[in-house]
Amino acid sequence: MGCDIVTVSTDTKFVHKAWQENEKELARVKYPMGADRSGKVSREFGVYDEANGLDLRGTFIINPQGVLMNMEMNFYNLGRNIDEMMRKFKANMYLAKKANEACPSKWKDEGDPTLTPSAKMVGKVHEALQGK
Amino acid sequence: MSEIRLGTKVPDFELETYEPTKGDFGAFSLKDQMQKKRWTILFFYPADFTFV
Repeated sequence: MGCDIVTVSTDTKFVHKAWQENEKELARVKYPMGADRSGKVSREFGVYDEANGLDLRGTFIINPQGVLMNMEMNFYNLGRNIDEMMRKFKANMYLAKKANEACPSKWKDEGDPTLTPSAKMVGKVHEALQGK
Repeated sequence: MSEIRLGTKVPDFELETYEPTKGDFGAFSLKDQMQKKRWTILFFYPADFTFV
């Protein structure tokens, strides 16, 4: 809801088209595929590998005000976990509505316990996570 | 050099795109996303025709 995924590599848009049309794994892909042939955008986000002109596996969540809310970067040999990515995105959507709260590591979806940092919670995180 | 920082505004940027739903080329810009009040997930990967 209210979110657009854009994939980016240093390939051209022509190659994106050829890949999407040929690779059956991508048959259901709906998101726009960005072409950063010069590496300009990739450099800005710090994912550009100057040694070979490729992008590292970086994921960035930007809110509707244009503020960067989350970043994650993996080296070539480690794929990303889509569930963790969606968890982070859902948490950011939730926290945009609940500015005083924080989503702990085990938070998965709306309805899971959150923390509201305060003087009372100091030393009582365990109780807060149990909803006491 | 990376200029972006968590919690700060990302400088506007634009990308040429291939849009699978239209089978046509298009464009993406952060400014458009902000005007449409939409979240953006940017997903960088090494290269087409490899595993993502």
